[in-house]
Amino acid sequence: MVGIPILVIVLIVIYPTIWMFYHAFHDTNMMSLFRQDWQPVGFQNFEAVLTSERFRNSLWHLAIYLTFGACLQVVLGTILALILYESVKTGWMRVVLLIIMVLPMMLPPSITGILWRFLLQASNGAVNHILLNVGILEGTERIDWFSVDLSLWSLVIADTWQWTALPLLIVFSGRVSLPPAVYEAAKVDGASGYQVMRRLTLPMLREIIAIAFILRFMDAYKFVDKVYVMTSGGPAQSSELPVYIAFQTGIREFQVGLAAGYAIIIFVGAALIITLFLQYLKRVMRNAGVVD
Amino acid sequence: MSRTAASAGQPNYRLIRYVLLAFLVIWLVFTLFPLYFAVITALKPVEEINRMVPTFWPETFRIDNFSGIFADPGSLKSLIDSIIIASANTALSLVLGTLAGYALARYLRGALGENLAFFILSQRMFPPVAILIPIFFLFDATPWGTDSYITLILLYLVFNMPLATWLMMVFFRDAPKELEEAAYLDGYTPLRAFFKVTLPLVVPGMISVAMLCWIFAWNEYLFANLLTGTTVKTFPVHIPTFVAGSQTLWNFVMAFSLVAMLPPVILFIILRRYMVRGLSLGVVKG
Amino acid sequence: MARLVLDEICKGWDFPVLDRLSLTVEEGEFFVIVGPSGIGKTTLLRCVAGLERLDAGRVFIGDRDATTIKPYRRGVAMTFESYALYPHLSVYENIASPLRARRLPKATIDQTVASVASLLKIDHLLDRRPHEVSGGQKQRTALGRTLVAKPDIFLLDEPISHLDAKIRHELRRQFHTLEELRRVATLYVTHDYSEALSLGDRIGVMGKGGLIQVGSPRDVFENPADLFAARVLGQPSINEFQAMIERDANGIHVSVADGAIRFPPAGPHASVLGRRQDMGISVGMRPQHLSVLPEGAEANRPTVTGSVDVYEALGATGVLIAKVGDQQMTVITPPEAHYQTGEPVRIALDRDHFLYFDRGDGRNLMVGPH
Repeated sequence: MVGIPILVIVLIVIYPTIWMFYHAFHDTNMMSLFRQDWQPVGFQNFEAVLTSERFRNSLWHLAIYLTFGACLQVVLGTILALILYESVKTGWMRVVLLIIMVLPMMLPPSITGILWRFLLQASNGAVNHILLNVGILEGTERIDWFSVDLSLWSLVIADTWQWTALPLLIVFSGRVSLPPAVYEAAKVDGASGYQVMRRLTLPMLREIIAIAFILRFMDAYKFVDKVYVMTSGGPAQSSELPVYIAFQTGIREFQVGLAAGYAIIIFVGAALIITLFLQYLKRVMRNAGVVD
Repeated sequence: MSRTAASAGQPNYRLIRYVLLAFLVIWLVFTLFPLYFAVITALKPVEEINRMVPTFWPETFRIDNFSGIFADPGSLKSLIDSIIIASANTALSLVLGTLAGYALARYLRGALGENLAFFILSQRMFPPVAILIPIFFLFDATPWGTDSYITLILLYLVFNMPLATWLMMVFFRDAPKELEEAAYLDGYTPLRAFFKVTLPLVVPGMISVAMLCWIFAWNEYLFANLLTGTTVKTFPVHIPTFVAGSQTLWNFVMAFSLVAMLPPVILFIILRRYMVRGLSLGVVKG
Repeated sequence: MARLVLDEICKGWDFPVLDRLSLTVEEGEFFVIVGPSGIGKTTLLRCVAGLERLDAGRVFIGDRDATTIKPYRRGVAMTFESYALYPHLSVYENIASPLRARRLPKATIDQTVASVASLLKIDHLLDRRPHEVSGGQKQRTALGRTLVAKPDIFLLDEPISHLDAKIRHELRRQFHTLEELRRVATLYVTHDYSEALSLGDRIGVMGKGGLIQVGSPRDVFENPADLFAARVLGQPSINEFQAMIERDANGIHVSVADGAIRFPPAGPHASVLGRRQDMGISVGMRPQHLSVLPEGAEANRPTVTGSVDVYEALGATGVLIAKVGDQQMTVITPPEAHYQTGEPVRIALDRDHFLYFDRGDGRNLMVGPH
C-alpha cells in the first residue's frame, strides 16, 4: 500500500531529480535536447552559476527574504496569536478575528501578488495615497514601490501580509490546547503576566512555534510565485531569487544544463536544511505522540 | 478582578495592555484594508479606478463585474479547469494517502516505517525546481503534452500526496487498533473491519486532508504557469493575463479574485478545526 | 459449545510473557485468571483470541486446533479492558455488530439485540452513542456485543475494574446469573482478588511466565502455592515477616525481628517446620487472622504487643497498622473500635491460619512434598 505513493514519488520526483543531476554535468540546451545529443562538460555549469554575480545577488535577496519574509512572519504571528488569546476572551469574537486574520492565506499567492501590485502602484496606488493623506508624502511626491531599491521589499510586504496568518493560526491553536490547570496553579502562586508568558507559555509553545517556523522557512525557500506576477525579478534583476533564475534559465531560455546547475545547487541546499529540520521534527513529533 | 488588582500594583501593566491591543488593531487594519480595497474596486466603474486620485468609497456601485466572470467564456472555463484539476488531484491524493497512511500506521511501526514516513514528508518541503524542468520535457514527450489536465493532476501529487500520506498516518494512529481487533472478533475480515470501523473513525482526518489538498491545488500558480496555459488554463494563470499596464480592468480582476477566494474561505470557516491539525502536520490537535 | 485447551503456549522469546503455559477450561466453566497488572494476562487472552501470534504451542477450541485460525473465524468473543466500543455507532449497532458480520436478516438482528439489551437492562439506551452512556452502561454494551455472538469461548478482560464500586457489585452479580456465560468456557481476567474469589469456578494465579497455581478459589486462598500467590489474593495484603525457627526444651517457636513477635506454631505446622534443616523462613499472616484484644481480655492464643501507627476506619471494618518491634503489622478490626496513634495494643495471633514459605523460592512449606 505504501508502494504506490513510493512509485509515484520515484516517477515524478526521483527520476526527474536524477535527470537533472545528469544534465547538470552536460551542455544541454533546446537544440541538443531535440537532437538527443549533448556533451559532458564536467563542473562547468556549477562554475558558471557560482561565479555569476546574478546568482550571488539572488542569494543575498534570498537571505533578506528569509529573514524578513519567514522569520519575521513567525515572530509577528506568534505575538499576534498570543495577544489575540490573552486580550480577547469572548469566544465568538476570537473566532471572528481569527477568521479575518487568516483571510489573506486563502487568497492564491499569485492573486495576492496582483492585489499588491495594484495597491502599490506609484501614481494612483492606494498605499501612496494613504501616505499622502496622512502627510508622509506631499504634493506630487510618490514612492516607486517597484524600483531597484524597493521591489524586493514590496515582495516581502505582500508575502508577510499573506503568510503571517500561518504561524498565527498554528500558535493560536497551540495556545488554546495548553492545559488550563497549569495556569491556575501559576495564578495561585502569584506569578505576574510577564512571568507566566516567559516561564510557562513560551516554553510550552516552543515546539509548536518551531513547527510553524520550519513550515514557513521551507515554503519561503522555494518561494517564487509572487516574483512572477509582481516584479518578474526586476527591475534590473533586483528582486530575483535563485529559484526564479533557475526556472527562467531552464524554461524560458532553454539552457537546460545551466538551469540544472542552478537547480542542483538549490536542491543540495534544501536537502541540507531539510535534514537538519527533520532531526528536530522527529523529536517534536515524538514528544507530541504523533510518531513513536 | 485579579486584573484590577494587578494593575493597581503595577500601573504600567494597563499601558502595556493597551499597546498590545493597539498592535492587534493595527494588524487587523493592515489585513483588512487590501481586501476592502479589492471589494470596492470590484464595485467601481473603470473610469473611477483610472483617476489620478483613488476613491476610498465608490461613487458609483456596479456589480456587473461579478456577473461578467460567468459571462466571459474564457474566465468561466478557467474556473472550471481549476475545479476539475483541484478535485481530481484531491481525490487521487486522498486515495493514495489513505492507503499509504494506513500501512504506515498499522504495519510499518518500526524504524523503517518511520524513516519512510519522514522521507515522504520531506518530499513536500523540497523546492520543485529540481523536478519541474525535466518534468516539462518529459510531459512534452507524452501524447497528451504538457498543456493538459493530466499534467497538473499528476504534478500536484508532488506536494499533496506526501502531505496526505503523512496526515493520514497520523489520523490512523489516533484510531485505536483495539477497535479494529474488536471488529475481527465480531467476525469481520480485515477488509470489512477497515470499512466498518477504521475508515469512519478517520473521516474527520480525511476531510482535513481533502480540504488542504484542494485549496493547495486550487491556488497553485507556478506549475500551472510554466506548464499549461493554452488548452488548460487555471484561474491563477488566467487572472494575471488581464493585467496589462494602464489597460488593466482592475475592477474585473478584483471581482474575479474575490470570487476565486470564496471556496477556500468558506471551507476554512466551516472546517477550521480540522484545518489547523493538518496545517501543523498533526502536532496541534486544534 | 466447546472446551478450551492451551497446550504449552509461548509468547516472547527473550523475556517470555507466557512460558509453556498449559490450561484446560471445561465447557461451562468460569475460569478466572488473577494477577498483578503488567504480568501478561491480557496477552494471554489476546493469544487465545488469535490477535497475537503464538511463538510456540497450540490452542484447541473443542476438538479443533485453532492455533492458526484467524480471529474472525475462531468463534471467540472478547471484551476489552477499554471496552473498545465503536464510537461512531449507536449502542444498538455496537451490539448488533457480530450479527451484521454474519449478514443476518434484519428481523433476527432486531430480535436478538432487543433480548440481549433487556437482559442487560440497557434497552432504553439503544439509540445513544457510546460517549453518551455511563461507564457501567458501556461495559454492558460491550458485554452485549459478545453475548449476541454466541461464541464457543468467552474472553473477558478486566470487565469491571474501571467502574465505581457500586456498579461493580451489580455487574458482578450479573456475571453470576448470566446463563450464556455459564454454558460455555469463559476465561475472565482481573487483578482484583475479590472478583476472582467470588466469580471463579476455578481460578488461576498468574505470575511471571505463566500460571503459578490453579484451583478452586477457596483452595487457592487458603493454601497458596507460594508467597506470590498469597500476595495476589487478599486485601489488605498479607503481612510478610522474615522469621527464624527456634528450637528449645518447650518445642518449636517462630521468631520475628529478634523475638518481638514470637509464638509456637500450630500443631500441624510445627511438625513440618520441625523437620526443616534451614531455620530461616517467611511467615505470612493475613490481616483477618490477627485481632486486637480488648484491654484486660484473656487470650487463648499467642499475642504480641505493639503500638498503633496508622488507623483507618472504613465503615464495615477498620484497618489498623501496628508497630511491633521494628515491624509493621496490618490488622483488620471490628467497625465499632477506634484507635489513637501511639496507643498500645495487644494483638492476638490466629496461628492456625498462618502460612509458612521458603525464604529462597517462596514456596508454601505446607503444600506438596515435605
